[in-house]
Amino acid sequence: MSFLNHYIYYIGAFGLIFIGLYIVLVKHNLIKVIIGLSIMETGVNLFLISIGYIKGGTAPIFSTPEIEAARMVDPVPQALVLTAIVIGVAVLALALSLAIRLYQHYGTLNLRKIKEQRW
Amino acid sequence: MVNPVLLIAVPLGLAFAIPLFGFISQKLEKYIPPVAMLFNLIVSLSLIPKVLEQPIVVSIGGFPPPFCINLVAGPVGVLFSAIIALVGFLVSIYALDYIKEGATEKYHMLYLLLLTGATGVVLTGDIFNLFVFFEILCISSYALVAYLGNRAGIESAVKYLIQGAIGSSLVLIGVALLYGLFGTLNMADIARNIDSVSPISVFVPLVLLITGLGIEGAIFPLNAWLPDAHSSAPSSISAILSGIAIEVGIYAVARVIFTVFGASSIFLFLVLLGLLTLLVGEMSAFSQKNIKRLLAYSSIGQIGLIVFALGIATSYGVVGGLFQIISHSLSKALLFLAVGYMIYRTGSMDISTLDGMGKRMPFTSLAFTIGAFSLVGLPPFVGFPSKFLIVRAALAKEEVLFTVLIALVLLGTVIEGAYFFRVIQTLYFKGKRVSPNKREEAPIAALIPIGILMILIIVIGVYPRLVTDILNSAASELLNRIGYIKGVLG
Amino acid sequence: MSLELLLIIAFGGAFLTYLLGKLSSGVRNFFAVFISCALAAIVAYLYGKPSEETFYLGFLGLPLLLRLNMLSWFFAIAIAVVGALSIIFSLSYMKGREKTDFYYLMMLLVNAGMLGIVLSGDLVSFYIFWEIMSWSAFLLISYNRGPALAAGMKYIIMSIVGSVAMLIGMLSLYANYGTLSISEVAPFVASASSGYILFILIVFSIAFGIKNAVLPFHTWLPDAHSEAPSPFSAVLSGILVRMGMYGFLLFFFVIVGSKLFLGLGRDNFHYILAWIGAINIVIPTFIAMLQNDSKRLLAWHGVGQGGYMVLGVALGTSLGVTGGTFHIVNHPSYIALLFLVVGAVEYRTKGIRDLNSLGGLIKRMPITFIGALVGACGLIGLPLTNGFVSKWLIYKSLILQGHPFLAFAALIGTWGTILSLYKFLHNMFLGQLPEKYRNVEKAPFNMQFPIIILSLIIILFGILPGIPLKVINSITTSFGLESLNINIWGIASETGALNTINIFAAILAVGLIVWLIFRAGPKAAPIAQDDNYAAGAYVPKEKYHYTVDFYNPLYRMISPYLRDFIDEFYMKLARGTQKLCGGIRHVYTGDVGHYVMYIVLFLASLIFVQIKWGIW
Repeated sequence: MSFLNHYIYYIGAFGLIFIGLYIVLVKHNLIKVIIGLSIMETGVNLFLISIGYIKGGTAPIFSTPEIEAARMVDPVPQALVLTAIVIGVAVLALALSLAIRLYQHYGTLNLRKIKEQRW
Repeated sequence: MVNPVLLIAVPLGLAFAIPLFGFISQKLEKYIPPVAMLFNLIVSLSLIPKVLEQPIVVSIGGFPPPFCINLVAGPVGVLFSAIIALVGFLVSIYALDYIKEGATEKYHMLYLLLLTGATGVVLTGDIFNLFVFFEILCISSYALVAYLGNRAGIESAVKYLIQGAIGSSLVLIGVALLYGLFGTLNMADIARNIDSVSPISVFVPLVLLITGLGIEGAIFPLNAWLPDAHSSAPSSISAILSGIAIEVGIYAVARVIFTVFGASSIFLFLVLLGLLTLLVGEMSAFSQKNIKRLLAYSSIGQIGLIVFALGIATSYGVVGGLFQIISHSLSKALLFLAVGYMIYRTGSMDISTLDGMGKRMPFTSLAFTIGAFSLVGLPPFVGFPSKFLIVRAALAKEEVLFTVLIALVLLGTVIEGAYFFRVIQTLYFKGKRVSPNKREEAPIAALIPIGILMILIIVIGVYPRLVTDILNSAASELLNRIGYIKGVLG
Repeated sequence: MSLELLLIIAFGGAFLTYLLGKLSSGVRNFFAVFISCALAAIVAYLYGKPSEETFYLGFLGLPLLLRLNMLSWFFAIAIAVVGALSIIFSLSYMKGREKTDFYYLMMLLVNAGMLGIVLSGDLVSFYIFWEIMSWSAFLLISYNRGPALAAGMKYIIMSIVGSVAMLIGMLSLYANYGTLSISEVAPFVASASSGYILFILIVFSIAFGIKNAVLPFHTWLPDAHSEAPSPFSAVLSGILVRMGMYGFLLFFFVIVGSKLFLGLGRDNFHYILAWIGAINIVIPTFIAMLQNDSKRLLAWHGVGQGGYMVLGVALGTSLGVTGGTFHIVNHPSYIALLFLVVGAVEYRTKGIRDLNSLGGLIKRMPITFIGALVGACGLIGLPLTNGFVSKWLIYKSLILQGHPFLAFAALIGTWGTILSLYKFLHNMFLGQLPEKYRNVEKAPFNMQFPIIILSLIIILFGILPGIPLKVINSITTSFGLESLNINIWGIASETGALNTINIFAAILAVGLIVWLIFRAGPKAAPIAQDDNYAAGAYVPKEKYHYTVDFYNPLYRMISPYLRDFIDEFYMKLARGTQKLCGGIRHVYTGDVGHYVMYIVLFLASLIFVQIKWGIW
């Protein structure tokens, strides 16, 4: 139980990553694939956060002098995650707008049928 | 001394200023990229003599490294930023006349962002920053591949985006693992501490980073996006993607392997991977009917050669690999630029429609010929000294294995020669003898960069010493990681 | 006169010619002739002025050297003369054709490249000039469009394979010894292990063998020679191909050294090479006999004559090497002459090379016929031509060395040569003149001029072989072979005596006797050809042409055995490669799910390899 307690975030993070990867691999619909990518990103972000997380830690703000530094969670991964989320949003927006244009051209979002560019 | 930060800040600022300039005058916006890149080129070249003595480390925020985000303008970084600026400058001149339709201000903005991202990747000393700049590069290239908005462009962009997004997730996981292990994101700091943890725990981030960056670096089998994207993008973008983007990907892979991890045990693996990439690329190109796809597959082959050379990991090998990067950047950019207007004139990418181009567009055809000769490695063009160095490096290993491998690599060259010479025959000798109909040469804005690239290919090919100094110190920067760590952390 | 200047004139002249062509074609033609003649004059002037100089330091820290010695001078003069003559010939051959500026540029560039090859004093510049020659030759071979494209592809692919082999050999030397200067690398090689020398020689032999069209690598040559513009065919067959021989001489005798070369592989290496040469004589000459395309016929002889050179050089005795080397310089004289003859006929008959439809042109083009006759005699090796002297030297050395089978093979080759060249001469010039060629004019002067010059050279060197033999003797002695006793009429040493004056006298006497007998007998009555053939019955002239299917019975007999099996094999290989390449690119299926799968598999296999074998 303590194992689970300790690693729950990592398990969750990699669970999300693998779910996302599975969706990208298996699903035919572009929208679903984009959702998969998004889930995968969420997993990666969760993973980043959990690296810096300390159980029972507080925010790394020196508001009151009695909080010692060892009890603060690491602020760097959180900063990284912010950046990663922004990047993720950009990719997502671009992907969705491309999906619209793709549908206009092909009349389908089935990636198994959109195979003009090959060989 | 010029601050290397300007290399990133100026194009980034100008990129976002382009829509503003658009308010003043619609004509102004397209002159911004050449100006920015010319600035970068001048700064990079002026930095070279200083960098040859000592790498310039810039800390942002005033903290000493490893506590800050830092830029490392070492010989490798400056070399790459000079290549990026040079090719970027020439291609942006080409684009002045080539990009006429669509949302041109978005094109120019994304174009500058792409180059900013590339410059950032090669100059940064921080692995998360590397990821961020990589994303800038990737996202703007997804958008630019789709710029034409046609079936092929959109399809390729979507496929490119899916693979690229997975790649960047892998990179991010790798970066997170490294941070978890070492508590730092500074590459020099990670490199310093890499031996303090068990090798097996470093292995996972290494593999993740190689795979993730390898997608952008187009290593087989991670390169399936490349032929689609390079052939569907506007030709000026193809030139940038082939001439810069994948080289930057290879740079990142090399930086990670050589400097951050010092992973000498996977060099042989790199050699084999390079060979595989080379053979697959060249063989796929062999029976292509689509000229841009042919060039794209040939890029895969060249990337294979570069990876092969870097994997040899002796100073000759790395110099050869970096030289090959220069030669590929110049030659492939030239080829795509030349092909761009040929396609524009014929309206088709089919090789068989290019017959008689020698008469219709003599200068452009000459440019194609020179670029192709250079890629095949014929003297006196720039491809020859680079191939010379790579073959020499492989033979200097004095192992039978490497002699066999280099023979296989050169077999790839034979295939490459075969398809390039076939295209050249089509340009000049195929089809009926056309009566000298009127010339349809490319406009002057295209001929200037094509001409400059041709001159550079010949001049560096004849006088390789122009670049060997910077290449030698760049190679020693890559091979001597202790020196890099010392240079950054003091 | 420094060698740098020579090369600058050669290369600069080529580009300047191109630029002048944009102004006016007359100026360009004059300038092209001027440059090529000037080169010949400069090379001639440089006779006996050996020198070695560094001309360029900028190439990756390697000094590039130029050097002139007897061997390189000997080749240089042949290159310059053949080049100049074919340029003069081109003046009217190329009249009214497209891309003439380009043609002259490439002709002069090939010429300059070849001069560079023989003058280079280190292997890098050798390679550089070699490649410049190769690609400019490719552009010239492709010039004629149509089937020339396939010929050009065949040529360039084999040529790249050759240069790949050369690159490996050259850089292996560089990696081992740190220098590529020929004079510096030679002592290193001489002290290397014999296995390594064998490796180097085999690798370079592949490169030179491909260029020299030695048997398993010859398949590019017939196509390339027959499809190229005729003046370039003359250069190609006469001298460009023989750059391979220059390479052989350079490596066997200058770099490795004759003693080591002969002892290589327990004395077997040179013996095997000699046999390759012998086979190379027999098969191609008989294949040549079966050709109906005049240029193709000559092209196969180009392959066959290469066999004599390889045979002579591979023997390694001073007589053999002298013969082989003399043959190298003789070959351009008559093969270039014959190609120019074909070019002249082609020019006047509007591009006809088919031996089945020509005939009787002797009355229309007499000078050209005399050129063809002299060239054919030289190629066959009849006395009083230079071909006789070199072949005689090769036979002699074969017999003296006790290789009767090789000598027999060389002799068989000569029979094939006689038969096929008789066909060549007869079907073009003798026999019946087809109606449509009734009004063919004689060749223009600038076509006749090179033909006459080359004919004179053949006869001059045939009667006075001492002139070139003297040069060759100083080459062979520089190889460390024993010196021969040369006088102006031939060789006077007891092992290999040759005196053309005796032969000259004998032939004169016999000829006189024959002439007298003919004079003494009754006068022959001229009978029209068709009467003779059809026993007086009427034959419709336009329907009957009796050069068709020359040698038909013989053809039926031997043709099943004389297919070019090697070429078929290569074509099969090429098709197989194409299929394989077509298959490989199906990896890129177009399905993005597969692509993602590749990424995951790549990652998984890396981790798997690590877990399984623990490489990291």
